[in-house]
Amino acid sequence: MTPPPLIRIEALTRRFETGGGFLKRPRTMMAVQDVSLSIARGEVVGVVGESGCGKSTLARLVLRLLEPTSGRVLLGDSELTALPPAALRAARKRMAMVFQDPYSSLDPRYSLAEVLAEPFVVQRRALPSGAVAAMLAAVGLPETLATSHPHQLSGGQRQRVGIARALALEPEFLVLDEPTASLDVSIQAQIIDLLADLRDRLGLTYLFISHDLGLVRYFCDRIVVMYLGAVVEVLPHADAAPRHPYTRALIDSGFAPDPARRRTIAPLTGEIPSPFALPPGCAFAGRCPRATDRCRTDRPALGGDAAHPVACFHPH
Amino acid sequence: MSALLELSEVSVSIGRAALLERISLRLEPGHILGLVGESGSGKSLTAMAAMGLLPLIGGRVTGGTVRFDGQDIAAMTDGQRRALRGRRIGFVTQNPMTALDPVQRIGAQIDVVSRLHLGLSRQAARARTLDLLTQLRIPEAAAVAEAWPHQLSGGMKQRIVIAMALAGDPDLIVADEPTTALDVTVQAQIIQILGALVRERGLALLLITHDMGVVAQICDRVAVLYAGRLAEENAVDPIFAAPAHPYTRALIGCIPQEGMARGSLHGIPGAVPGALQFPPGCRFHPRCPQASALCRATVPPLTPHGAGIAACHHLSVEAR
Ligand SMILES: Nc1ncnc2c1ncn2[C@@H]1O[C@H](COP(=O)(O)OP(=O)(O)OP(=O)(O)O)[C@@H](O)[C@H]1O
Ligand SMILES: Nc1ncnc2c1ncn2[C@@H]1O[C@H](COP(=O)(O)OP(=O)(O)OP(=O)(O)O)[C@@H](O)[C@H]1O
Ligand code: SF4
Ligand SMILES: [Mg+2]
Ligand SMILES: [Mg+2]
Repeated sequence: MTPPPLIRIEALTRRFETGGGFLKRPRTMMAVQDVSLSIARGEVVGVVGESGCGKSTLARLVLRLLEPTSGRVLLGDSELTALPPAALRAARKRMAMVFQDPYSSLDPRYSLAEVLAEPFVVQRRALPSGAVAAMLAAVGLPETLATSHPHQLSGGQRQRVGIARALALEPEFLVLDEPTASLDVSIQAQIIDLLADLRDRLGLTYLFISHDLGLVRYFCDRIVVMYLGAVVEVLPHADAAPRHPYTRALIDSGFAPDPARRRTIAPLTGEIPSPFALPPGCAFAGRCPRATDRCRTDRPALGGDAAHPVACFHPH
Repeated sequence: MSALLELSEVSVSIGRAALLERISLRLEPGHILGLVGESGSGKSLTAMAAMGLLPLIGGRVTGGTVRFDGQDIAAMTDGQRRALRGRRIGFVTQNPMTALDPVQRIGAQIDVVSRLHLGLSRQAARARTLDLLTQLRIPEAAAVAEAWPHQLSGGMKQRIVIAMALAGDPDLIVADEPTTALDVTVQAQIIQILGALVRERGLALLLITHDMGVVAQICDRVAVLYAGRLAEENAVDPIFAAPAHPYTRALIGCIPQEGMARGSLHGIPGAVPGALQFPPGCRFHPRCPQASALCRATVPPLTPHGAGIAACHHLSVEAR
């Protein structure tokens, strides 16, 4: 029998209303639409997609940093999306988030020791002695940095502090929202190494968000591909052949760091539709080389092979 | 072929910080030179020096010469230098928002470049603008010319900035991270458009990027900068197939590639030093797996190496 998943996301949806004002009709946009996903303990699930497709919104919904319009999130047996505030605070110890921008996610006024003690303060717990040194050591930073302030650190060091802070209360589940997007590839590789090592040592479970499919394929066990708020495909492993035309386009758009593999890329034509005015059919139809009339009128549901679902009428 | 742009041992300071040391580069018409290196290695400063724009950021050339089409730009008058930019050199900045005026329609912003630098009439300038937008595969060029910047997507705006850079019919385009902020599907398109322009019009392109995939895709030659010095310069094939410098090798080794097993990716330990903390000897030595006592004490000279040059005491033997 397979163990029950650590995280269950069920039909999660979030709408935003914006632009209401004098003589202006408020507009509604679907940032996350009907997303369902289970994550097993110890698994690394990747989420990829282009800017604005709803990755960060999904991340915030999963940790209930943002309330869903509908749908549920379960952590083990407890329904996060239904917990009252006190119980939610207790549940928060079990999960944490690492943010994209190590420059703005750390308060410049606090020393690293204070930054790392903050999660304990929030949880109204005493800071165990030696905890700060241990947290710094866990992410490969020298103890001598404890009195430094964030502006004195390099981008890679700041992101290590962000990870150390997320690990402070020994969570089981981490959501990593583009943790290396603002870093050089040289530093990105260090951080990915560190995350892999922490997962192995601490048995962590990750939801790893990135717009870099190459990175996600390198690091993740399973890969969720999003387009304009919806999941279009879940790749069961990094080498699985993509079936959705959008996933294909994403893979084909990356240039290999090898001049022997230069090639001409057939560019996608058509513009990305506005999230405020999604077309009635498949959201990708306007840019899809395989689109037919049906794609422009009916919306394909995520389905087919349960291990490798795809939302497309004409998958590869 | 004679170089269109040639930097010979150019050193640059801002205030008391010596930020670039003896950078030499050459770029011929019809070619693309990629400038790579981690953040802070000096790519943008090199581009500013090449365009004679250092005074704008309070910088100055403290040694060496920059020649454009054989002419020393330090010997030009301010007026001549200004005429050079826009007319003979087009600049594509990283952030399209800083290059576009939010309160002017797109078309007018492009028209002004060819009216100013090519002396075109209003109508001729607009015709040229529409022609450029079409070449950059912008659908409905006439409608886009009437749009305001905020009405366009990031990828569209970046193409508009490229159109502005091309409007003066320049010989050289300097593009500083032109696709970094864009989604990959859009980036692929813009990189291909830039590559085609170079081949079709015989332009020269100085392309700053930290994306080694983009470099492999369109560059002819590659210059690798580290901590304000040139580590290596060579044709693109040997740079990837047989990098001579340990830093080039390390940079390429940082990129996740298809089929790579988890755990096989290694970063470069440490970080690029700031200008006031440059170590003695080879500036890469604190992070270099090959560093020896010689590296810690003595600056490695730039030496010819195959079709290029490199500065390392322990150049890869296989690359010779
Ligand atoms: N608080 C909000 N109010 C209104 N719209 C929002 C809000 N937060 C996000 N959105 C919109 O929801 C959509 C999804 O945004 P989200 O930040 O989740 O995208 P993303 O995939 O993380 O993008 P990126 O790769 O740029 O970080 C976007 O169109 C965004 O403008
Ligand atoms: N106006 C300035 N005043 C002082 N130092 C500067 C200035 N501009 C750049 N520097 C310094 O010069 C060095 C090189 O900067 P440069 O902007 O050329 O780097 P880069 O390679 O373009 O990096 P990035 O990839 O982050 O754009 C850095 O150490 C930077 O801090
Ligand atoms: S000179 Fe020495 S330290 Fe510098 S790159 Fe070469 S081997 Fe490494
Ligand atoms: Mg985001
Ligand atoms: Mg720069």
